[in-house]
Parts: sequence; structure tokens; C-alpha cells
Amino acid sequence: MTRSAPGPEVVAPRAASDAATPASRSLGHTQSICPCCGAVLDAELLVRDTRVILSRRCPDHGEFEAVVYGDAERYLEIQRFNKPGEHPRERQTETLDGCPRDCGICPEHAQHTCLGIIEVNTACNLDCPICFADSGTGPQEHGYSLSLEQVESMLDSFVRAEGEPESVQLSGGEPSIHPQILDMLAAAKRRDIPLVMLNTNGIRLARDPRFAPALAELGVHVYLQFDGLEEATQVAIRGRSLTEEKLRALDRCVAAGVSVSLAAAVERGVNEHEVGAIVRFGIEHPAVTGVFFQPVTHSGRFLADSDPLDKLTNSDVIEAIAQQLPEWFRADDFVPVPCCSPSCRSATFALYDGEDVVPLTRLVDVELYLDYVTNRAIPDLDVREALEGLWSAKAAGGSEPVAERLECVACATAIPAELRDVAASGFMVVVQDFQDPYTLDIGKLRKCCVSEITPDGRLIPFCAYNSVGYREQVRRELSRQA
Amino acid sequence: MRWLLGNELHPGGEATTRRALELIGLRPGERLLDVASGTGTSAMLAAREYGCLVAGVDYGEGAVADAQRAADGAGLCDRVGFIAGDAEALPFEDGQFDAVLCECSLCTFQDKPRAMSEIRRVLRPNGRLALSDVVVDRPRLAPKLDNALATVACIGEALSRDGYEHLLAGAGLRPTGIESRDEDAAALAGRIHDRLRGARVLGLDRMAGSPVAIEEAIELVRAARRAIAQGALGYAIFAAAR
Repeated sequence: MTRSAPGPEVVAPRAASDAATPASRSLGHTQSICPCCGAVLDAELLVRDTRVILSRRCPDHGEFEAVVYGDAERYLEIQRFNKPGEHPRERQTETLDGCPRDCGICPEHAQHTCLGIIEVNTACNLDCPICFADSGTGPQEHGYSLSLEQVESMLDSFVRAEGEPESVQLSGGEPSIHPQILDMLAAAKRRDIPLVMLNTNGIRLARDPRFAPALAELGVHVYLQFDGLEEATQVAIRGRSLTEEKLRALDRCVAAGVSVSLAAAVERGVNEHEVGAIVRFGIEHPAVTGVFFQPVTHSGRFLADSDPLDKLTNSDVIEAIAQQLPEWFRADDFVPVPCCSPSCRSATFALYDGEDVVPLTRLVDVELYLDYVTNRAIPDLDVREALEGLWSAKAAGGSEPVAERLECVACATAIPAELRDVAASGFMVVVQDFQDPYTLDIGKLRKCCVSEITPDGRLIPFCAYNSVGYREQVRRELSRQA
Repeated sequence: MRWLLGNELHPGGEATTRRALELIGLRPGERLLDVASGTGTSAMLAAREYGCLVAGVDYGEGAVADAQRAADGAGLCDRVGFIAGDAEALPFEDGQFDAVLCECSLCTFQDKPRAMSEIRRVLRPNGRLALSDVVVDRPRLAPKLDNALATVACIGEALSRDGYEHLLAGAGLRPTGIESRDEDAAALAGRIHDRLRGARVLGLDRMAGSPVAIEEAIELVRAARRAIAQGALGYAIFAAAR
């Protein structure tokens, strides 16, 4: 009998409002910073025109507003997916001037680190216009390249801070061009960190036939920059067409047995029309175990021309995926990740058998398990724990911890026996929005669970690293030492 | 089967049960009979949220024992009791109840007029009935939904709106209201569809204990979803009084 295709479930697009001076409704107060001088300011979250806006006034530089979430109704609805933070084993700094001046991790931080990031260099083999790390091919102002010893020491800081960290990502610049990158990845693996990721544009993977096999031998997971299949997209976001290299890089990964997450920067007016195609490409590709969408972060190099009120947010990308792949996904298949703030990251897991895609949320009431506010009985605490591990910043499809957790969820939810390999068929789709100087909400920052590890052993919340000046400070210090 | 239906054994789950009880104006202290009480969820809900004294009757002795255990565990045994019995020969005195609830079970009664007259018998004068069930517009129903397989899903035995009203009137029960719950039917069918697709994606050819293969079951559910969207198939609550 031929396979019947699932019926489409069309979601009507939300109409944009053209009101000149729309009414606002306050959602409460928080703190932010001035994008010009960095001063910490009182800020207000407002609903305007069905969107959530962050608004504040600097006494010296005037009023600043930015959109932080495109769907105010969803923003309010997801606040229940907020799990109280866990203390880190160790804190590295004292509280002196108050958040966000004392990173990190300081006593005021409300969450441990799920994912650690180490930027091993500032040099890159691309010059992407949107780079939040301000990296590139020419001589870099305050450029640096870490030694293996420095990376080993940073990994040890991470292990001290967390005890048994689950995920670490080596990034840069372009880390694959660092001469000692394989030794650095090996060092991470030696510390028994289950998920070691290499964040890369894939150019070396494409050109160096020995690189993928070396990564496979180490058990490294590749986090591959992949913004779309259309040439215009790549030129706009990365400065040149890269399709051939990306595809060749992926071919090498298939041949070597390396698993890959696609990391897609999404920019309004450039590639939000491609998000469905990217997901489909990833699901159908044998090496790819997930896609991470990131609305472009307006930090680093990319400050000048963007309008903070016209930025894509997580809810916009989720709606785009649902509109472009209605037979596979609905917006409510994307459940917020409870370890950080609910508006930071939403994810889904999809089961795929070569023909049909069924999100895990259709088989298990994930919202019930990850709701920490509504007073309802949780049917099975083991399932909750497994789902917390899947819906986490530390998870990437294809890794062993993820596979085990998927098995746990499948078994416990009374799906009848004789399953095919649940873990093998799981595919992760994540939408994550990193803050920048315009959207920085200090309340959210306190619960950030992604940390940049610095050579002097601090763990600095990723959004603070990008928005408050820590990246620049670390680069100055490192380039002075060089 | 339970996994396919998720938390609901009838469309709309607890929300629809509450609507049904509201439609007949159930008041604290009243005596309610839940015919085909199954897991006992509705009976316990009525006792807990409406302050009623509830009796549940079900054909399955296992179901009755489980429901009683659940009620005891929930601290409701002073207000809720379950006994095994046949809807066509209810083990109760005449006029014993202020209200009767009968959810999504008419299709399981062999002799529907008899079951209805039994319900009338155990209601006191002016007592009320809330009956919810699958509603069909049979001429508009696709043939595949009409064949023997559909009996499994309560579609084969379902009546039209008029059919239910005649059934009620024929038993001496005066219709007092109808509430359509087609969205609940659509949601439940959607959920079953998703779970069948999930089972198929995980490599199952056939659900344990099912007479049909998954592919056939998926075809059936898709046909049901189309029928619901077209209004040929739905769910409704019928309120009536003696």
C-alpha cells in the first residue's frame, strides 16, 4: 500500500499592523544598557502592535527601543516553561558593581552552565558582514590565537565549575584553521565531555580530505554554518557564495561518519523564506542530526545599519517554519527550553523514517512535563528528567546523551515495544535568539546557561560577552600578552 | 488504544464532561448516574467539582474494580460508587437519580431504545440526561468509514442529530438542548492521526491488539478528519429531561 502523505495544516500568517502610534501595554520592568555608552538603565517591556518591545532612556544618549519577541501572546504563554536555575559548583568572580559588570560567574548569576564555548582564535578564512565575533581574514585588531596549554587550562576551569560538563564548543574566528585544533578537541574529549562540538564554516572540511576522518576518530560533532541554499542568501550574509564548499564538507562528513548540526543565521529580508528548505535539506541529509536557527545578532561588526525594531525574533522564525512546512510542523511543536529564559530558545525533536516527519510533541505531552508553574501532577519524573536533558542548551542531535534520553522518553510513554531505533530517527530543530546591546535584558542575562570560557578561567554568559564589552576586553588582554 | 487517545477517552475530555454537566444544570447534593462509567474519571469529576453523589455503572467488571480503586484513592468513596451492570437492565430502582450522564457509549449498546428507556426509568420526574456521542450525516459519509472497520471507532453505530432526537423522544425524554462539539472531534482525530503516524515512523506495522494494520488505520483516520471538516461527522452533547 502506498504511503499516504499527511494532510496539510495551514497556519494563517499574522498580518502586520501599520498603526502610526499604536497603544502600548506594560509587561513590567527590568534593566538594560545604553547601546552607546553601556550605562545600566531601567527598562520597560511593552506590548505594542502584538510584539514585545524593550524600551529605555539614557540620560546622555536618548531613548532606545528594540523588538525582543514578535508574538506577545506566545511570549506571555511560554513564561511557565521556566525551570528554576541550578547553582554552579563553583563561582569565579565576586559581586562588586552589580550585573552585568562582574561576570562571571558571579554570586548574582541564577543558573549553571549547560554549554561552554571557547574561542580559540580571531583569524578566519571568511569576512562575513554579520560577524558578532568581529573576525576576518586580514590582520585583526587585538587579534589572538590561543595556545594548547591555554585551552587545556580553560577546559579545566569548565570542569571545576560544573563537575561533569556535558557540552563544549570550540569556536573563533574559524577554529578549524588553528594549527592545533585537533589537539584542542582531543583535550576536550580527554576530559570526558560527551558532546564536543566544532563550530565551523566548513571550508577546511571541504578542502582537506583528512580533516573529517580526524574529527570522526575523536568523536567530534560538527556545528556547520549553513544559512541557506540560495546564492543570494550566502552573498548577503557571508560575503560570497559557499554552496559548493558546504555540500562538499557535508559529503566528507557522511563518508567519515561525522554527525553535523546546521547553524543558520536568519535575517529579515534575506533568508527567512528559506528556513523550511533548510530544515528539509537537513532532515533528508544522512550526516545532519539537527538545525539551529539564529536570528542574526546585531553585535560586533554588525551594528550600523540594522533597525532594532525590525529584527527577526524566535517567534517569527517558528512561524516561518510552520508556514513553510505545514505537513510536518506547527508552531506549538516548538517548546521553550526551560534552562534559560523561555524567550531565549525553543526546540522540537522530530522523528523521521525517510518519508514522514512526526514531531515528538505529537506523541508525548512535552508541555505538561516542562511546565514548572501550572500546578499539575507529573505522570513520570524519569520522563521529565529525560525531556529536560533534550530540551536544553547542552543538547545536539545524534549525541549519545540525546540518544539515551530519546529512548527513555519513548519507552516510558508506552509506545508499544518493537520500536525501530528511536534515537537514530530523532532530529533536533532549535530556534535561539542571542541578545545584543539593543535587546539586552538583564533579567534574562542572570539565567543565561551558555558561557564563554576565558583564558583567566572566568565563565561569562554568552550574551554579556557579546553585548557588554567582555569580548573586547578579553581580546585586548590576550593581544597584549602575545 | 489508550496511548492513541492520549488523555481523553472521548472527544473533549474533561472540558466536554463539564459542559455536559453544565448543560443539565447539575447542582450540589444531586444524585447522578454515569452510564458506561469506564475509568470513572467523569464520575469522580462530578463528585469532586459539582458536589454530587455519583453512581457509575459499567459492563466491564475490571473497569468497575479499577474505577472504584481510583475513587477510593482519591478520597471520594463516600460520594462515588461503581457497580457492574448492563445499560439495558440497569440495577437501580425507578426514579432513583436526579440526572444521568452517558458519554460516547451509545454505540456499545446493542438495543439502544431499551437502554434509553432504562435511563428514563431510573430518572425521577423532571430528571435530566446529558448524552454525548458521535454524530453522523450518513449519506455524506465516505463508504470506507461505513464499513465494518469503522465500528471500532464508534462511527458505524453513530446516529444523525435527528436520529438521537427521535431516540430520546421515543423513550419519553424531552430534548432540552444540543451543543455541538465538532472541534473536539477534530482535535481528537488529529491526535490519533499524529500518534498513528508516530507509530509508523518508529517502524510499527500494527498496533498491539488491533485488527487493522497501521496504514489502514491511518487511511481511516484521514477519512474521518475529512468527514469532520466537511460536517459529515462530529460530536455533540444532547440534553433531555424526563
